[in-house]
Amino acid sequence: MRFRVRAFLGWATLAAICLLNVPAVFGSDKAELTFGMLLVGPYNDHGWSQAHYEGGRYVEAKLPGSKMIYIDKVNPADRPGLTIPAVVDELVDKGAQLIIGNSDDMKDGMREAASQHPEIHFLHISGDDVLTGNAPPNLSNLMGRMEYGKMIAGFAAGLTTKDGRVAYLGPLINEETRRLAASAYLGARHAWTVVRGMPAETFKFRVSWIGFWFNIPGVTADPSQVARNFFDTGYDVILSGIDTNEALIVANQQRKEGKAVYALPYDFIGSCNSAPEACLGVPYYNWGPDYTRIAKSVINGSWNQAWTWSGPNWEAINDADSSAIGFIIGDALSQANREQLKAFIADLGSGKLNLFTGPLSYQDGSDYLKAGEIATDRQVWYLKQLLQGMEGASK
Amino acid sequence: MQIELQQIQKSFGRVDVLKGVDLKVEAGTIHGLVGENGAGKSTLMKILTGYLSRSGGSILIDGQEANYNDPAAAAKLGIGMLYQEPQDFPPLTVLDNFIVGRDNHPDNRREWQQRRLDELSDQVRFQLRGDDLLERLTVGERQQLEFLRLLGRDAKLLILDEPTTGISDRQKERLFAALQQIRDQGRTILLVSHKLEEIAALCSRVTVLRHGMVTGEECAPFHIPRLLELMFDKAPVNSVQNRPQATGKALLTFENISANGERTGLNACSCTIHRGEIVGLAGLSGSGQGLFLRLAAALKRPLEGQIRFHGTTLNGRDHRTVKRLGGCFLPANRLEEGLIAGFTLVDHFTLAMSCSESTARVAASAAIKKFNIRGTPDTLVESLSGGNQQRLLLALIPEDANLVLLENPTRGLDLASAEWVWSYLRSQYSSRGTVVFSSAELEEMLEVADRILVFFDGRVVRDLPIGQVVYRDVAAAMTGY
Amino acid sequence: MQNLKQHLIDTLLILAIAGPFTSLLLALVGASPADAFGHLFSGSFGSWSKFSRVLNVWIPLTLCSLGLLYAFRSGLWNIGVEGQLVLGAVGTAGVLRLGVDAASPLLVLMLALLAGALLGSLWALLAGWLKIKGGVHEIFAGLGLNFVAMGIILWLIFGPWKRPGIASMSGTEPFPRELWFPMLEGWRVSPFALALALAAIVITAWVLNHSRFGLNLKAVGHNPRAVLLYGLSPQTYLLTAIIISGALAGLAGGVQVSAIYHRLIPAISSGYGYLSLLVVMLANFRLLPIPLIALFFAALNVGSIQLPMMMQLDSSLAGVIQGACVLSALLVFGLRRLKKGADG
Repeated sequence: MRFRVRAFLGWATLAAICLLNVPAVFGSDKAELTFGMLLVGPYNDHGWSQAHYEGGRYVEAKLPGSKMIYIDKVNPADRPGLTIPAVVDELVDKGAQLIIGNSDDMKDGMREAASQHPEIHFLHISGDDVLTGNAPPNLSNLMGRMEYGKMIAGFAAGLTTKDGRVAYLGPLINEETRRLAASAYLGARHAWTVVRGMPAETFKFRVSWIGFWFNIPGVTADPSQVARNFFDTGYDVILSGIDTNEALIVANQQRKEGKAVYALPYDFIGSCNSAPEACLGVPYYNWGPDYTRIAKSVINGSWNQAWTWSGPNWEAINDADSSAIGFIIGDALSQANREQLKAFIADLGSGKLNLFTGPLSYQDGSDYLKAGEIATDRQVWYLKQLLQGMEGASK
Repeated sequence: MQIELQQIQKSFGRVDVLKGVDLKVEAGTIHGLVGENGAGKSTLMKILTGYLSRSGGSILIDGQEANYNDPAAAAKLGIGMLYQEPQDFPPLTVLDNFIVGRDNHPDNRREWQQRRLDELSDQVRFQLRGDDLLERLTVGERQQLEFLRLLGRDAKLLILDEPTTGISDRQKERLFAALQQIRDQGRTILLVSHKLEEIAALCSRVTVLRHGMVTGEECAPFHIPRLLELMFDKAPVNSVQNRPQATGKALLTFENISANGERTGLNACSCTIHRGEIVGLAGLSGSGQGLFLRLAAALKRPLEGQIRFHGTTLNGRDHRTVKRLGGCFLPANRLEEGLIAGFTLVDHFTLAMSCSESTARVAASAAIKKFNIRGTPDTLVESLSGGNQQRLLLALIPEDANLVLLENPTRGLDLASAEWVWSYLRSQYSSRGTVVFSSAELEEMLEVADRILVFFDGRVVRDLPIGQVVYRDVAAAMTGY
Repeated sequence: MQNLKQHLIDTLLILAIAGPFTSLLLALVGASPADAFGHLFSGSFGSWSKFSRVLNVWIPLTLCSLGLLYAFRSGLWNIGVEGQLVLGAVGTAGVLRLGVDAASPLLVLMLALLAGALLGSLWALLAGWLKIKGGVHEIFAGLGLNFVAMGIILWLIFGPWKRPGIASMSGTEPFPRELWFPMLEGWRVSPFALALALAAIVITAWVLNHSRFGLNLKAVGHNPRAVLLYGLSPQTYLLTAIIISGALAGLAGGVQVSAIYHRLIPAISSGYGYLSLLVVMLANFRLLPIPLIALFFAALNVGSIQLPMMMQLDSSLAGVIQGACVLSALLVFGLRRLKKGADG
C-alpha cells in the first residue's frame, strides 16, 4: 500500500504555492502551443529535472501563448505501472503538440510513442536515436555539450587539489557518463600538469559509480557514504556527476570538522547555494534557448528532425538567452585560480585548446586518439571506455 | 482463612450443573474435592475464583458473606488458583514472570523482587533461578513458579487443579512437602484431583461431588471403596450380559507404543484388538484414550513402537492408509475435528465419497432418512444439533468400514440419541466389524463393550473381557488403585 | 437475492466511509474534491485510449487477485505474490531473450509466458515448502522471498542482462517488436491479454465453485484437521493452491514484460502484487467482485496521473483512496461479523 500521506501533504502544499506564483498564460491568441514535459525526477530537485522545468518556464515567458503541461517523477519506481506511451497519450489528449522527455531512460518509450503519434513532435533529451537512424521522423534529439562544463569543473578541481587527488561521484555507466567523467579528468589533469607544472604520475583521478542518477536506498550505493569514503582516503575535491547534492553537503560537513575539502555539484545553476563555502563552482545546463528555438519551429512549421548538441556561448557562457552550458564560479575558488579559470575558458572558446586531442589511450591501453588527432563529435559521444589515467570501472 | 459455600447453584441455560453445593473448608487444612468428569468440579472452582457468577447460594469467608464477581476481586480477598496449564509468559524470565502484574507494588525494584523470590523459593525448597528463561523450564518448574507467585501475593486460600499432571515424581514430592509446609503456616488449600492416592496422602477431609451435588464428605483416614462408591453411580445390577467372546483374527495391534500428547502421553502400551470386538477405553478424561484412538487412526505418530492394522505397519503412514484399509475415526470435537463448518451436508458427502455433487445429494437425502437427521441436504453442519452432527458423522462412515474408532460417541447427546447411536453401531458392526470407543460413562461401557481397557495416567492398567469386569475394580483402576 | 442486497449495502457503506474521508483530506490541502474525483473519472473512463490503459492495469491485477484467491481458499496468506510476479517477469524475459531471432515468435512468446508462470509457481512453492517443512509462516517467508526476488531482478538488470555497455534502472534492452504481445492496429491493450484474463476468471470461477478440487481446497482452508479424516492431505492442497497462486502471479509478470514494458525493468511489478492483496480483501475473499474492484483500482491508478497534471496534486491520492476503501471495507466486514456473533 502506498500510503504516503505525509509526502502527499508536503507535495500538495508545494504545488499550491507553485500555483499561486505561476502567472496566467491563458487568453493570449498570439502563438498557441501546448507542449508536454516529462521529467524523470521531481520538478524541484535542484538538479537535472529542475533545469528542464525552468527551461519550460523560459519558453512560456518568451513565447506568449505557449503553455507547458508537465508530469514529474516519470519513472516506474515513483509511478508504478506508468509507461511513457501512456503518459504521452495523456499529454496529447490535453493538446500537446510537442513532447519533451528529459531522461535517457525514456528512450524506448519515446520512440514507441513517437511512432504512435506521427503528427506530434518529440524531443528526446540526451538520446541518440537520430544519430543511429532508429528515430521516427517526428523525433529529434537534443543534448548540451556538458563536456565543456565538466572540463571547466575538472580544471577548477585540478587547480585546487592539494596533493593531486580528484574524485568523481558517478551515476550509472553509459556513454554519456563516461564522456563526462573523461572530460572532467582531462580538465583536472590539464590544470595539474600544464598549469601547475606538477608531474603527471602524482595525479590521481578516481571514479565511483553509485548505480543510478540519485540515491535509491537499498538499490544504489549511498552517495553520502561514497563521498565520505573519498574524503577519508585522501581525495580533497569531489566532482559530482549525479543529479543530487550529496557530495557538496558531505564536503561542507567535513569542512566544519576542519578538513580542507571541496566539491563541485552538477546540473542546476543554483546548486552551490546549499553550501557556498565548500563549492568550487557548478557546471549547469540552460535549456531555455534551445527549447524556445524548437518550440518556435513547431509553431511556424519549420521543424526538422535533428540531433543537436548545443555548446556554450563562449562570448558569455552564463548568458541565459544564448548559452546552453554555463559555469558559475563558487565562493570557495581562490582569487588567483579564478583568473586561471577565466583564461582556460577563453582558450577553450577560441579553439586554442582542445583537450580531446591525442595522444589519448583507453583505460585498457588501446588507442583512442593518435598523437595530434582531434576527436570528432561521434568519437566523443560514443566514448567506449574511461581514459588511461582514470581509476574506476568502465563498464 | 476459612471458606464456606452454601447452596451454590449454577445453570447454563436449562442445564443445572451445580444443584446446591455445600462445602466448608477449615482454615489451615488441606481439603480434597473429588468427583468424576462432569461432576461439576471445574464449575465450582470457577465460581470460587470469580471467573463465573453463581446462579444461587452464597460464599462466606471467615464467616462473612463475600460478594465478588471477577478474578481480580477474588485475588484481593486472598483466593488464588493453580491451574493445570501454567498461566505464564514463556518468552520472559522467571523473575519477570514473578513480577508481572505486580507493577503497582510499592516496592517493585527488581532487586527487591528477586530477594522475595529467593526467600519464598528457599522456604519451600524449590530451586528456581530468576534469570532463567521460562521456555527452558519443565512444566513442573513452571508450576513451582506459579505456586511461588501465589505465595508472593499472600494468597490465603490456594486452589489446586490436578496439580500432579505431567510433572515428575521428584517434583510431586517437593510440591506435597511445600503444601504441607504452607498448611502448617496457616494457609488453606483446596485440592482438586481424581487421584485418590494423592488425596489420601494429603487431605484431612474430602468432599465428593456427583452430578452437581455433594454425595458425601469423609475424614482421613479414608476408606477408598467408600469414596469410589460416592464418586460413581452404583453398578447397574444386570449390566454384564453374556456376549459371545471375540474369536476373530487380530485386526489392530499396538506393540510397545509410546507417544506424546494429551498431557499424560501414552507409555509402553501393548494390546491386540480382534475382528468383531467392541472395545471400550475407560479412564478419566485425558488419561490417554484419545491419544490411543488417534494413534490407531494414524492421525498421530508414536515416538516408539509399532502399530499394525490388517498386518500393515502404520509407522510413517497417515490416515489415508488407515482409511484405505477400512478404518475410520469419529472425534469427540465433532465440529472442530470431524466436520467442516461452513459446509453443507451435500458438501460433506461429496468430500467423503469423492463423488459428484448430484451423487452426493442423493446420498445425503438417503442418509437424512436413514439416520433421521433433522436437516436438509443444504443445511450447514454448524446449525445441526450435537446429536444430528453425530448422526451425520455416522452416516459418513463408508459402507465397507471394518474398524470404527469413536471418541466419546455419545457426548452431549440426549438419552434417546445415545441409545440410537449404540443400536446402530451394534447392528452395523457386531458381526463384521470392530468398534473401539472411549467414553466418560462407565455404565455405558459396561452395557455395550465386549472388552474394556482401563487407562490411567497414560498407561493401560487393566485389560478385561466383559465377563471379568467388576464395576468397582474398574472405577478403582481409573483413579489409580 | 438476500446476499446480493447485503453486498450492495456493504459497498455503499464502504464508499460512504471512504469518500468523505478522502474528500476531507483533499479539502485540507485546499483542493476541490469534486474536481479531483472528476479528473480521476475522466482520466480513466474519458476515452477508449484511457480505458484501454485501465485495462492494461486491470489484466495483471486481476490475474494476481485470482491467484491469491486460490491461496486464501486454502487458508494461506500468500504475501509472496509480489515476488512471484517479479520472478514471472524474469522467467518470461529470460525466454524472450533466448527467442530473439527465432523462427516462430508466437511460439517463443507462448513459451515465455509459460516460463513466467512456471518460475512464479516455483517461487511460490518455495514459500509453501518453507511453511510446511520449515514451519516458517507464509507471511514471513513471502516477505523474505519478495526481497530476494527484488535482489535477483536488480542483479540481472545491472549484471548479466544489462544493455551493452550500460547498466541502467531503465532496464534491459527492449525486445524486438515481433516478441511483443500481439496487438490489434490502433489498440492500446492487447485483446489476447484481455482474453487471457477473462479466461482465467471463468476457469477460476469454475474450479473454485464447481469442481471437486475447489471444494477440497475450501475444506482444507476451513478445517485442516477435519479434512484428514476425509482422506485429504492438507499439505498437498496447500502446496497446490500456492503453486497455482504463483503461476497466475507469474503470468501477470509475463504480461507486464511482454505486453506493457517489452523489457525487464526493476519496477516491473508496478506493485500490483501488493495491490492485488487489497483487491481481494476488499472483495471479502470472494471471486465475483474481484474483476470489478480490480477495474476500480486500475482506474484509480490510471486516472491519478491527471492530478499532478491538472491540479498539481500528488498522484498518491489514488493510493489513499484505495487504502481508505480497504480500511472501510475491513471495518464494515468486521462490524458485520461482530453483529452476527452478537445475534448468534
